Amino acid sequence: MISARTRNLIDETIRFLKRHGVDYADVRWVEQLHEEIVVQNLQLQHVSHSTSEGASIRVLSHGCWGYAASSRLDRLGLKHTAKQALEMAKAISLDSHTRVKLKPVEPSRARYQTSLEVDPFQVELQKKLDYLMWTSQVLKDHPNIKTATASLEFYRTNKLFSSTEGSLIEQEITESGGLLEATAILGSEVQRRSYPTANSPSLAQAGYEYVKTLDFVGQATRVRREAVALLRAKECPSSVTTVILMPDQLILQLHESCGHPVELDRALGMELSFAGGSFLTPDLLGSFRYGSKLVNITADATTSQGCGTFGYDDEGVPAQRVPIIREGVFVGYLSSRETAAQIKQLSSGAMRADGWDAVPIVRMTNVNLEPGTGTLKDLIRDTQRGILLSTNKSWSIDDRRLNFQFGTEIAWEIRNGRIGQVLKNPMYTGITPEFWRSCSAVAGKGEWQLFGVPNCAKGEPVQLMHVGHGASPARFEKVQVGRKTHAPR
Amino acid sequence: MLLGESRVVPSLQKAVKASSADETLIAAQRGGRTTLRFSGGRIHQNFHEEEVSVWVKVACEGRMGVATTCALSPEALRRAIETAMTIARINAKQVGPAFGTAPPKDPTPKLTTYFPATVKKPLTETVQMIRRLWTQSAAIGVDLAGSFVAGEDELAVVGSRRLTQYQPFSAAGLRLVATQAKASGFAAQTVRNLETLDSQGLAERALEFCRKNKDPQPIPLGRYDVLLEPEAVAELLEWLSYIGFGAKQVVERTSFMAGHLGDRIMGRQISIVDDGADPQGLGVPFDYEGIPKQRVCLVEEGVAKEIVYDSHYAKLHRRHSTGHALPYDEFEGPLASNLFLAQGQTPYADLLKKMDRGLWICRFHYISGLLKTQEALMTGLTRDGTFLIKKGKVAGAVKNLRFTQSILEAFSQILAVSKERRLVADPGQGLSAAVVPALLIKNFTFTGQTK
Repeated sequence: MISARTRNLIDETIRFLKRHGVDYADVRWVEQLHEEIVVQNLQLQHVSHSTSEGASIRVLSHGCWGYAASSRLDRLGLKHTAKQALEMAKAISLDSHTRVKLKPVEPSRARYQTSLEVDPFQVELQKKLDYLMWTSQVLKDHPNIKTATASLEFYRTNKLFSSTEGSLIEQEITESGGLLEATAILGSEVQRRSYPTANSPSLAQAGYEYVKTLDFVGQATRVRREAVALLRAKECPSSVTTVILMPDQLILQLHESCGHPVELDRALGMELSFAGGSFLTPDLLGSFRYGSKLVNITADATTSQGCGTFGYDDEGVPAQRVPIIREGVFVGYLSSRETAAQIKQLSSGAMRADGWDAVPIVRMTNVNLEPGTGTLKDLIRDTQRGILLSTNKSWSIDDRRLNFQFGTEIAWEIRNGRIGQVLKNPMYTGITPEFWRSCSAVAGKGEWQLFGVPNCAKGEPVQLMHVGHGASPARFEKVQVGRKTHAPR
Repeated sequence: MLLGESRVVPSLQKAVKASSADETLIAAQRGGRTTLRFSGGRIHQNFHEEEVSVWVKVACEGRMGVATTCALSPEALRRAIETAMTIARINAKQVGPAFGTAPPKDPTPKLTTYFPATVKKPLTETVQMIRRLWTQSAAIGVDLAGSFVAGEDELAVVGSRRLTQYQPFSAAGLRLVATQAKASGFAAQTVRNLETLDSQGLAERALEFCRKNKDPQPIPLGRYDVLLEPEAVAELLEWLSYIGFGAKQVVERTSFMAGHLGDRIMGRQISIVDDGADPQGLGVPFDYEGIPKQRVCLVEEGVAKEIVYDSHYAKLHRRHSTGHALPYDEFEGPLASNLFLAQGQTPYADLLKKMDRGLWICRFHYISGLLKTQEALMTGLTRDGTFLIKKGKVAGAVKNLRFTQSILEAFSQILAVSKERRLVADPGQGLSAAVVPALLIKNFTFTGQTK
């Protein structure tokens, strides 16, 4: 809950900024809690509880931005921060020939709160630990499993946004999730399986009830079994073939080859010095064939339980559901008030910062592949020869988001419409639009799964944003699996 | 503005003294930095942040707990210690102390890491400097995107048995990407002292690469000899460190060093050390547990020698910490982040001349080292300048290429190492860097090409 003292101080700061005749200003107060528990090989490896609280002040004055952030939250501290933002805007404006234009937004006075059943911060630590110990026991139960790790993570973010335009928005966002990892070793062979995703926990905007739905103890047996099976599996052969991507890989494909290239700041060159640009430039909007007619991708900040779900973004724009790819055609961007104005559109409400000490930038919300029809079984049955790939292991894509290569933890051969043997060390590569244009099937709603990705890196200094992705299994034709074979030069 | 040792240390000492835990260790990092990001002839993001991060670790009857906060007030520190003690109560008992709170036996090296000039420069002067660079590049039809960062921090570590460490540090940097149509060129520099930043030299370098990079052509995929600029070498080295030089990765046997200490894993020309106390780098002389940073020889003339430890993994291995602990809420294990790759004998200017046919690569983009960590198999793309070299001369620009290559294999096929080295670092962080030469490598594998 946001205290009356904090509200008053922020109100006072807004009045102070108005008195200084700013074109526009907003104050964003943020308090974040984070709890992390890690059990490894039946030992509590790590428990931590983190808190962070501060405020950022964004000022548009003389047509230029000034921005300052501090954890000094008393009257003097906020005033000092406000002055720094004003001075910065002035310094920039002295040597600037351009003026920032913002798309208008209706001021809102609102409150948004995650809908949850069980507050994860009220669940006893011992209960969480017992659950992880039990999971770890099941996960470790094989002589080849060298490392069995189970973890839980919980986040709570309280935010108060106030602007000189009259917005006053309070939000409380709670996220819960976890991760299982089993590393199996046999001689020099090392293989890992993870659940629900790899490398970082999958989160949902939900309470402790989400942890129960993950069914760690039930899943641990499968994860362990697959990790051990990979030790003796055949190497995934290199070939050009049909691939079916499971949702836990497809979400990374969506993230890297669709989510990032449709960020309008990237497309306008504002990220050139760090992450790069985008092949989806504004001149292609509305006409470029990005994928096959089966490909429908939406940026949806209203998806239930999504990590990219909120009431309002960090400049007070309401959450929206925006088509990005419609029947294969590129039709929309993720944008902010400033970037949208540059292409004469309205903001899609995607301006977010990863904390009080970071400047809001255009970020993904929940970038989802809309479900098609049928089931995974149908997709496999209709495949003569191919490979089924699951759980992202590695990812790499070029600075314009065209040439990608992904590795997954596991794959299975498909022969004559049936799943065959397990294959290890699979990877595939392609060019973004060629790959999505080869999409020949997307499974239906019944197999659509939503994942929360807590580590989307962007910006300078790097910000790690929580974003969401949903997908059903999908099939792609003529994909290069493994390394391209080529004649020696 | 920094508070200084006389204000930060006593506030931590007071909190430690008031703690009822058996052992209490507090690390606090406090600082501020200004960032300007620009493209298209305007500064589009500019901000100043002031931040305090405090990490608390306690031991109560052999049980450990960790908590963090973001303020140095007595109340915030008291609450963080209490939270850490609550966590400790449910933790498993450990045998023997898992972390030290007394002054270290080894002396902490003295290192000058703070230069007031880095944060004293008026913002208007920096804006004018950027404007000057734009004007020059615009005159020849080139756009200059980039970022400028300048900041200062102070790091203090205080333990309940009189451990006290304090170090202020500053860092600044400029990154430039020059673009003209599809051509681009890159240059960057990170310094402790802003007065030593060579903005004009960087702009000229970025523009020169951009000029050379016009009309890039596709080439057949396959194996090529490569000349890697220090920026490209640094990224490979940082990935090697992340997947292989820490005790956690060795314990879990995912590291290429696991089971190979004492074995030859790279060519004789490759020697890698981690040294946080070397003034040529960007380290501070102690880690987040207050342990002085040791010089650790990771690879000596191609032979895997040592790995880095924090107190937790040192205890597991019955070794001493090498001073490579991260903040207590991190779970990555100890990290070697002040890396030095030994210089060679060949003047940088002669490296190109040594190539009969090959590729000159300015930097890499989006490397993933997670493909097969035991072999250091990595993939990534070239960016902002890839050139075909014929008989020691640039024959033309090449479209960006994807490599998929074991870096152990690549570092076993070294043809030459430059005499000169360059510091490559993120100025926004100010605590880690790689000091590396340019490398000439035989038979580097390229598996894909951008459009």
